[in-house]
Amino acid sequence: NHALSMTILAECSTSKARASVVRLPHALVDTPVFMPVGTQGTLKGLVPDQLRELDCRIMLGNTYHLGHRPGPDLLEKAGRQLFSYCFSFQDSGGFQMVSLLELAEITEEGVKFRSPHDGSEMLLTPEKSIEIQNSIGADIIMQLDDVVHSSVSGPRLEEAMYRTIRWLDRCIKAHQRPKDQCLFPIVQGGLDAELRTKCAHELIKRDVGGYAIGGLSGGEEKAEFWRMVKISTDLLPKEKPRYLMGVGFAVDLVVCVALGCDMFDCVFPTRTARFGCALVKTGQLNLKSKTFAKDFRPIDSECHCSTCQTYTRAYLHTLANTEPAACNIITVHNVAYQLELMRSMHQSILQDKFPNFVQQFFLTLFPQKGYPNWAVEALASVNIHLL
Amino acid sequence: MKFSVEKALSSGGRLGLITQASKCGNITLETPMCTLFTKGGSAPHLHMDMLKRVALVPDVAAMSLGSLADHHESVAEFGKGLGEFAAMKNKLVFTTLHDASLALATGKNDNSGVAVWGKGGKIKLDTALFMKVQEAFQPDWFQAMSDGDTDRECGQKRLHKSVDRTLDFLDEIVEKMQNSQILSKSSLIGVIEGGFSEVERVRSAKETALRPVQGFLIEGFEKGNSGKDLFSHDTFSNILTTTIKCLPEDKPRMMETVWSPLQVIKAFRLGIDVFSSAYPHTLAEQGLALVADYSLPPSSQAARLELGCTNPCTEDQTLYTDLNIKFFLCFTMPNFARGCILCFTMPNFPKGHNFHQYFDFFHHLRKAVLEDKLDELEQSLEQQNGNK
Ligand SMILES: [Zn+2]
Ligand SMILES: [Zn+2]
Repeated sequence: NHALSMTILAECSTSKARASVVRLPHALVDTPVFMPVGTQGTLKGLVPDQLRELDCRIMLGNTYHLGHRPGPDLLEKAGRQLFSYCFSFQDSGGFQMVSLLELAEITEEGVKFRSPHDGSEMLLTPEKSIEIQNSIGADIIMQLDDVVHSSVSGPRLEEAMYRTIRWLDRCIKAHQRPKDQCLFPIVQGGLDAELRTKCAHELIKRDVGGYAIGGLSGGEEKAEFWRMVKISTDLLPKEKPRYLMGVGFAVDLVVCVALGCDMFDCVFPTRTARFGCALVKTGQLNLKSKTFAKDFRPIDSECHCSTCQTYTRAYLHTLANTEPAACNIITVHNVAYQLELMRSMHQSILQDKFPNFVQQFFLTLFPQKGYPNWAVEALASVNIHLL
Repeated sequence: MKFSVEKALSSGGRLGLITQASKCGNITLETPMCTLFTKGGSAPHLHMDMLKRVALVPDVAAMSLGSLADHHESVAEFGKGLGEFAAMKNKLVFTTLHDASLALATGKNDNSGVAVWGKGGKIKLDTALFMKVQEAFQPDWFQAMSDGDTDRECGQKRLHKSVDRTLDFLDEIVEKMQNSQILSKSSLIGVIEGGFSEVERVRSAKETALRPVQGFLIEGFEKGNSGKDLFSHDTFSNILTTTIKCLPEDKPRMMETVWSPLQVIKAFRLGIDVFSSAYPHTLAEQGLALVADYSLPPSSQAARLELGCTNPCTEDQTLYTDLNIKFFLCFTMPNFARGCILCFTMPNFPKGHNFHQYFDFFHHLRKAVLEDKLDELEQSLEQQNGNK
């Protein structure tokens, strides 16, 4: 009865990781999945064909510019037949909305802000947010939530959590297209275990197709971050997808898949490309660095993306230092890297070799075994022990 | 390279063939043509993978030294030339001095050399370094070093100096080329200077024509891209005509000026064969899409579409539908037409689209001349411009 259905194909016998296939109106998506973040329907500079070649089947559509929102027509033209879209008003964990929109003021009614176009005051209510998302037509839509920064605690945090639940009820009531679009509520509660638990308990009483975990990845301590993720995944029902918002560093992805998360989004792989950074199994290559001036290998000789088939590190080094074209070219690889990482995890879970995958992944990234403490702890909590 | 005239117009323009155009000698190009404008050796903002989806991409990529000269040691070590280094293996490489889309940083040339500019700052080239760079890059065509830092405001003395310097550089390069095995198959393009002085232009053209160059690049009417229409200067057309009269017929004439299709037609009539494609790039940078219809008779109108901050797709349904039909043919791959409509809302998309339009224009220009319909094409474009 939802626009989304998930079939779990395999569960890791050690950790909480699972491999599933999620059926959406416009695509079948294997999870764990990474959703690149696009603006106005597509990734900056990438054409739909390129995304299809990368086998990218779901993207996060993102806009704060309500006057600029992509219409359903545009999504169709963006090659909508090929992808599903998840639509959100927020970016990485949800704080952008508050920080970007000038004079944002949150009341029980909704979020009040000044239009970036004409300076007029606008009120985004839960109902309005759903109306807009209904008209855009993404496969997954997000509830409007009351987001506070992860450093906030006390009464304001509690208020935000309860308000998020009240807003969810308003969103569910306003949702006109439940057969076409799946509405995700968002677990809030900051870094307060009790509030998160309460929030999750409330959300699972509602009839929804999947859950998002929000309010994290805002610069909080990693030790607190993973615990909040785990509390959330411990409580959320197993048979529905769990979407961890704003998470996209490779280490975080691997750990949070082990903790039971299925979907992720992050601007990191595209943003870091802008600074000449390419993602590889051993970490990052800063292609602006002189060390690559005479390195005639591709970014990753095992990568099948069109960038690695076409360009050398040496040429990208000259380009990264001078021309904006580099951003586009490196973005293609970085997205390919993220998708490949998720595919490998999916595969290893199917073969019940996920713990082994995690061990090898960490060993490749940290050959000296200087593993981050929080990752060691988080993985140990789901019985994966690094080598 | 060899050049032959296929069909000549009374105004001086001609349809031509550049044979043995590449170092390996096997490529034939039809003129009028434009080169592929690049920055740092890549089409601006376009992944090679995306460029491949654009139809009618020129066979020659113009690569300016400003952003590349700094990296000549890497390219030398790579050993296979700039084209392959920049993932443009299938293109002929034409190394020029300056980025055609930009204004020149003025006042930096002297008798010892010329300055080119990249993101990393100024690089001063003397003929020795210039040749070293060219040997690393192994271009198919290369522009000789020149002092093109002149415009309408320059007096006789400055223009005289620019012509002298440019000839001196050329003589040094010709001499150095005799000892260069690597560059023995590359075509040297002589540079004509002289600003708006007919006397200096004639001297520059005649003297350059005496040297062993395979083609001519005419510059120095403006200091790089000035954004002004050269044809708005009343003497420009006459001076260009006089200059071209001093050049032999059997060599191609090139200009790197940022020109709209209508301006290209005017320059073509006067005898220019090879153009830059910096125009569609500069247009896209301003958020403008090239949307003229070059077929005769045109099936639609509107020459330029402002992209600005409004969203044409959602706000103007009629325009949207119009574009939908119009751009169905924009790219070769039929399903890419969808992506193409996004030209109008996506930040980097106009790049590919504008390029395609411009390349398509050259295709139609040639066809129009063959069919004696150049006047019609010009009128049609003027009308589309007026209708805007
Ligand atoms: Zn790659
Ligand atoms: Zn187009």
